[in-house]
Amino acid sequence: MSIPELPSSELPVDESQARKPCSTAEKLARPIVNFLGQCVPGCLPELLQTRQQARLQTTALPRTRRTAARTLHFLAGALLLTSALPSFAVEPDSDWNEVLQEARGQTVYFNAWGGSDRINGYLGWVGERLKAEHDITLEHVKVADIAEVVGQLEAAKLVGRDENGNVDLMWINGENFASLKRGGLLWGSFAENLPNARLLKDSASMQLDFSVPVEGLESPWGGAQLVFIHDTDTVPEPPRSAQALLDFVQNDGRFAYPAPPAFHGTTFVKQLLIELVAGSDAEAALSMPVEESDFASVSAPLWDYLDALHPQLRGAGKSWPTSGEMTRQLLDDGELDIAISFNPNEASAAVRGGQLPESVRTYVFDKGTIGNTHFVSIPWNASAPAAAMVVADFLISPEAQARKADPQYWGEPTVLDLQQLGDEDRSLFEAVDLGVWALPIGAGKVLPEPHASWAQALEAAWLERYGQ
Amino acid sequence: MSLTSRWGQRVLALCLIGLFLLPVIMGLAGTLLPAFGLTPELAPGNGFAQLLADPRFLPALSFSVFTGIVSTVLILAMTLLTLVCVHGTRWWSWLSALMPPVLAVPHAALAIGLIFLLAPSGELVRLISPGLSGWERPPQSWIVPDSVGWSLIIGLVIKETPFLLLAAVSQLSALNVSASLRIGRTLGYAPARCWSRLILPRLYPRIRLTLLIILAFNLTVVDMAILLGPGNPPTLAVMLMSLVNDPGSRAAASAGAVLLGALVALCFLGMMLVEWVVARIAARRRQSGERGHGVKLFRRLGMGAVVMILIASMSSLLLLLLWSFARRWRFPDALPSQWTLSNWTSRSDMLLQPAMTTLLIAVTVTILSLLSAIIWLEFERRSIVPRIDGIWFVPLLIPQVSLLFGWQAVTLWAGMDGHWWSVVYTHWLYTLPYVILILAVAWRELAPQWGQAAHVLGAGYWRVLWHIRLPLLRRPLCQASAVAVAVSVAQYLPTLLMGAGRHSTLATELVTSFGGVDRRVIAALAVLQSLLPLMAFVLALIYPVWHSARVARESGPSLSRAPDR
Repeated sequence: MSIPELPSSELPVDESQARKPCSTAEKLARPIVNFLGQCVPGCLPELLQTRQQARLQTTALPRTRRTAARTLHFLAGALLLTSALPSFAVEPDSDWNEVLQEARGQTVYFNAWGGSDRINGYLGWVGERLKAEHDITLEHVKVADIAEVVGQLEAAKLVGRDENGNVDLMWINGENFASLKRGGLLWGSFAENLPNARLLKDSASMQLDFSVPVEGLESPWGGAQLVFIHDTDTVPEPPRSAQALLDFVQNDGRFAYPAPPAFHGTTFVKQLLIELVAGSDAEAALSMPVEESDFASVSAPLWDYLDALHPQLRGAGKSWPTSGEMTRQLLDDGELDIAISFNPNEASAAVRGGQLPESVRTYVFDKGTIGNTHFVSIPWNASAPAAAMVVADFLISPEAQARKADPQYWGEPTVLDLQQLGDEDRSLFEAVDLGVWALPIGAGKVLPEPHASWAQALEAAWLERYGQ
Repeated sequence: MSLTSRWGQRVLALCLIGLFLLPVIMGLAGTLLPAFGLTPELAPGNGFAQLLADPRFLPALSFSVFTGIVSTVLILAMTLLTLVCVHGTRWWSWLSALMPPVLAVPHAALAIGLIFLLAPSGELVRLISPGLSGWERPPQSWIVPDSVGWSLIIGLVIKETPFLLLAAVSQLSALNVSASLRIGRTLGYAPARCWSRLILPRLYPRIRLTLLIILAFNLTVVDMAILLGPGNPPTLAVMLMSLVNDPGSRAAASAGAVLLGALVALCFLGMMLVEWVVARIAARRRQSGERGHGVKLFRRLGMGAVVMILIASMSSLLLLLLWSFARRWRFPDALPSQWTLSNWTSRSDMLLQPAMTTLLIAVTVTILSLLSAIIWLEFERRSIVPRIDGIWFVPLLIPQVSLLFGWQAVTLWAGMDGHWWSVVYTHWLYTLPYVILILAVAWRELAPQWGQAAHVLGAGYWRVLWHIRLPLLRRPLCQASAVAVAVSVAQYLPTLLMGAGRHSTLATELVTSFGGVDRRVIAALAVLQSLLPLMAFVLALIYPVWHSARVARESGPSLSRAPDR
């Protein structure tokens, strides 16, 4: 049996590979060298050592501490070793053409909350557009809570995995951004290098993410505000303050909020705290790190309030909805009277999708509700930072933002300054019909987020009190 | 060729068992070492102290113990009741035919279907509202999931009772039940007494291992507990899941996983103790000579219990199907008011990708498990390796959490987390036991004469295997494949921990997106997840029948009675 041989000149050559500074052979060799560098020295029981490994150990590599962990590392690694490392040349401030060139053909693992099918569908569209325009493959890694990914990155840092990370781009803000920034787990100041960044609004919440300076480490993606949805057929006059809400549940109103640390739950608790301490001396403490104030006394009114609220909730403070979306479904089922959302246009999208009756309306508390900006960022060990930058840039293009503003697809307020856009781009936004079910534009006062450190402190205190 | 030499085969067998035990040993090590603070760089701090300081720990522990033990006791009671009341009646064959498909429904899909059924705004209430109940809005007297844990217990009972029942049925044939019953009846004992005096004492030791597996599962299940548990307190396993991804809490998570393992062991001991006490009491009562009398009500009760389990799981499936085609379905309508295909068509990206991943993993895992099982059983038949049935049960008896936390840590160290092959490998670990145990029975029963005859006629080993042994074992092979598909499709924790979120299957997609994603799309996902194993079971049922019919047709009347097991 003979196999016809190809002349070597006719072998298919992948041009995108050839352009890269790092050859395939080098790519294949690197992980093995890295791997041996990490594992072999001093980690093996003498019996298992081969002569070759012993030579490696004495000539090339320094001896490191012998730990049980490394033994495990080696044995498992020896069994499972396969993947290859990519190369990267771009820096956060590289020339954009260079970025585009390197991004071509790369795959971006975008870790983003996957709890909303509309958002997932929107990201599917983003993926198609990026594939067509830049030959980038976007993989949406759906996570339940991005804090888990922050944890994974911290773990990767601990074990020294500084390259070839699992995450290329992530959807974050607030305390997650703060802890990544603190831990030095972000790639660099790339956001201002994005061509579309000049179209962004000039807003405080884009410079300070929960009072933490952004410094270009993350790129804005969208703005949002805590809103409530009610059904005018069952509750014509919904409660418009924390106190009114308490009266409402004490008079058989059906209400529940997702248990912190679920995002909507934490935000709702923060909203209550802001409202309950408003006008007191404690108000100023919320915009500073929590360590600088007396947490117990500042938060005391909140716990009193929740102690009174919880027994009246659906589930009596023992069984909780798992997400804001779930409160929306329970509103449709009639098990709840009020749903919580962090998107002023969610009700419109839901009514059009057959998930809520046409009698629903969106409202906020009279004194306003928390609003913030959310961002995308690139971890320090990303495998494809160039492509991740291109994705971040596409996300703030007028095309992507206009589609995102449409309740049919997502329905979230844009981060772009419409005055900066050309007529053609602006008309994309003007064509969007929000419907009567959404929060009327300009109807809700936006309150700033407390300092990022408050979220974690409140979550921990909440869990300690009510998590049992 | 080295493969044919006895020594080469021993090495191959050793590799196989090594591959099987590697994740077990490494996983346990990877859990134990961080728990006891031996890997400070990965898991800093004293895990046990951290865990005990967590305010959720004690409530979570007692919640796990409560739901785990109550559900196991109920499962055993239901199984025995069904055996006593239904065995030998005309419903029996119906029941045995319905059991495997019910068993094949994955946990996550069943749990979601049950929520659609039992919630205050669920189908049961919708059927009687507002006409019979007068409820214009959903009642507020209960919720699903409830805070005590009954939702979870109901879910576990419905899921696991068919499993135990099937295990018991498969053992009954060896006990010669009808003869025992005849003797008992002749001596004047009531039917229930015949069972409790004559059959149960012999049956119980044979299903004890299955019961232990169920107990371990109930105490440590994660996916069903996320869906049907109240979340506050979570079960211990769910709480540990929330700790494991936080590097500051890895030690606490590992310590918790060790404690969970210890808890399971403790419950095993407790069960043995109860068993011993019951056996003594039963032995005394056996000698009392009381005949007792049949109670019709009792019989009805047993019948009702099992029928309710079947109806609950079947209607859960039906509800999933209805929701997946609903556009508008408000309380108290018993059926959707508007229908649509768009849950399937417009969200196809969300459905197709995890379905393909699930299918690909399931098929690969099934092929690998069948191959390894065949290799092992052939070696065993030719006395190259000893019979070690106990080993295969090991991964099923260790809580998944205790094993996989460590195994995940190991793959993380090795830089192998998120790799497709690690997911497949871990699925294989949980599939192989079922495949090998199902095949072993058939393998050992198969009369060696067929092969010997072929050898005498000059056929070599491979030819005999390929043309005689495997075709004779076609039916058990098909059944084992179907079970392998069902086990793989249902795996949640191995996929989640090994896949690092990169390989989303129907199981992980369902659990992580439940509550967040549109209920109608969730229903479509759950339908897909149930459909895959159901299809596998149907194929496993049809293929051997179809094949033997074809053989009979092609080879004419003379060979139509060829043995086909």
